[in-house]
Amino acid sequence: MRDFVELIVGAMASGCIYALVALSYLLITRPTGVINFAVGEWSMLAAFGGFLALSRFELPYPVGMAIVIGAMVLVGWLTERMAVRPLVERGAPALAPILALLGMLVVFREIVSVGMGPDPQPVPPMFGYGRLELGLVAGSYQSFTIIVVTALVFGSAWYFFERTLAGRSFEAVAIDRRAAALMGINLRRVTALAFAASAAVAGMAGLLVSPNVSAHYMMGLPLAIQGFTALVIGGVGRVEGALLGGLILAVAEQFTVRYAPIPPGLAQGVPLVLLILFLLLRPTGLLRARESRA
Amino acid sequence: MKTFAGFALTALVLSALAFMLGSYQTDVYRKLLLWVTLALSYNFLFGIAGQVAFSHFTFYGIGAYAMVILLFQVGLPLPLAILAGIGLCVLLALVVAIPATRLEGFYLALATLAFAQLFIVVLNEGGAVTGAAGGLANYRLPDVFGMRVTGPWYTVVIVLLLLGTQASLWRLDRSWFGRACRAVRDDPQAAQAMGINVTATRIAAYTITSAMAGVAGMVYAFVDNTVNPPIFGLENSFLLLFMVIVGGSGRHAGAIVGAILLYLLPFVLSPLIGHHHALVFGLFMVAVVLFQPKGLIGIWDGWMAKRRTVP
Repeated sequence: MRDFVELIVGAMASGCIYALVALSYLLITRPTGVINFAVGEWSMLAAFGGFLALSRFELPYPVGMAIVIGAMVLVGWLTERMAVRPLVERGAPALAPILALLGMLVVFREIVSVGMGPDPQPVPPMFGYGRLELGLVAGSYQSFTIIVVTALVFGSAWYFFERTLAGRSFEAVAIDRRAAALMGINLRRVTALAFAASAAVAGMAGLLVSPNVSAHYMMGLPLAIQGFTALVIGGVGRVEGALLGGLILAVAEQFTVRYAPIPPGLAQGVPLVLLILFLLLRPTGLLRARESRA
Repeated sequence: MKTFAGFALTALVLSALAFMLGSYQTDVYRKLLLWVTLALSYNFLFGIAGQVAFSHFTFYGIGAYAMVILLFQVGLPLPLAILAGIGLCVLLALVVAIPATRLEGFYLALATLAFAQLFIVVLNEGGAVTGAAGGLANYRLPDVFGMRVTGPWYTVVIVLLLLGTQASLWRLDRSWFGRACRAVRDDPQAAQAMGINVTATRIAAYTITSAMAGVAGMVYAFVDNTVNPPIFGLENSFLLLFMVIVGGSGRHAGAIVGAILLYLLPFVLSPLIGHHHALVFGLFMVAVVLFQPKGLIGIWDGWMAKRRTVP
């Protein structure tokens, strides 16, 4: 039983990471229709930011985290400014920004590989390497940190989208771009904000996951794939979907590794099979997007 | 007739080149020809049919592995192995395409990305059948009519593959099918209204080009005489996409230019920047999408247009 609960805690922690990456996709996809494969690379950048700030310069965790997230906001904004906005303004086909961001994926990764070398680098966890035991529930400090931080991030995302005017304007752009623009919503600002927020969320995921996996220049693509699998499972339309999708994916993954009689290597295929199944059977995901209300 | 003469002449020149090269140059030349072949068929899928698929290089891998497994583990004779390999590629392409092409936009990209990753997982866990992480090696091309096809003669096989691929794609592009593909790419609804079966066109384009990649993979199996998982990873799928975009998507000449340029670039760059040529690829890709959406071939077209207008 104890073992089972610990498995659940671990699965929830990795599910939260997937959910954050999924949210990062969603923040951009929902208002702009662009799928940004570079979100995994953003997480990787933040992980290296964490390495520099926390391991090399040994800043206190809150300061280091603030600097890294601040830097990620800047990275997201710059990415939009340089690789997306010129295309949108020129009226390029919808595919063009996606391809430009795919190019940026390689650029980010190779800049880190050139600058930081190909070796994995350690990043410390937020509250050290301890173990928390509360009766049956047990897990590493970092697992609980991940769960709490993710809950906070999703809580504020939900509040932003449901309760603030800026958040409602995001939703309006998602439902109908033209109508939103006619209502006086500044599309450029929404897009820029979406990229900045997405980079911050992806950065949070990178910072939180890096104590477990170390910062490595190749860590981005697996995260990106798990993130969009979570997104497809949950549904591209809803913030709650990203969280649900991440948790389902992680639980499925961990349970296969633990209980299914297949070699552990094959268990890597679980998210991929889930992704393909969902795309085939329920491409809208578990939670449907809100339709425009007539 | 003129086209045929053109193809025959190209075949002759490209084959003649094969007989003048040393062993290292032969290796580079063969792989260049294979990249051009792949870029041509990927250009049809991505540039002409407008499908963002990351599975093209995977089918290259499926072709290569299928060939080796069918020949040396199942023990089929060469012609049967070729037919069975093509059959397998077509079957797998249909399995991916029938559901995936129903999906709009980037979902095809996601599904094919997952398929590509799944292929690598299966290769790594395939045990003795796929040789796991080490892959399969120590085999050689069976004799064809009692003759061993090696050295420059095998390069001639690759030249024929390239020209065969190019000729069939050219024919397809010029047929109603090519026009249907372009119509579906530009506006699926308008294409539907004109009586084009959008889904069937998409499935056919995906299956035909994937099978072509599979055939190229079968030929590749005897270039290095080894197949292993890292060769067929996602990196090369990205590279293929970059080649087509940098060269100019939707244009056969563009695919050829892009493939030659990006394949040879690392040889030029490695003395300068070592193994970091991928950074240059990425910057190249972003720059082309931003500033030259028609690719390098677009620059050439621009010059030609200017020369024509200025007397």
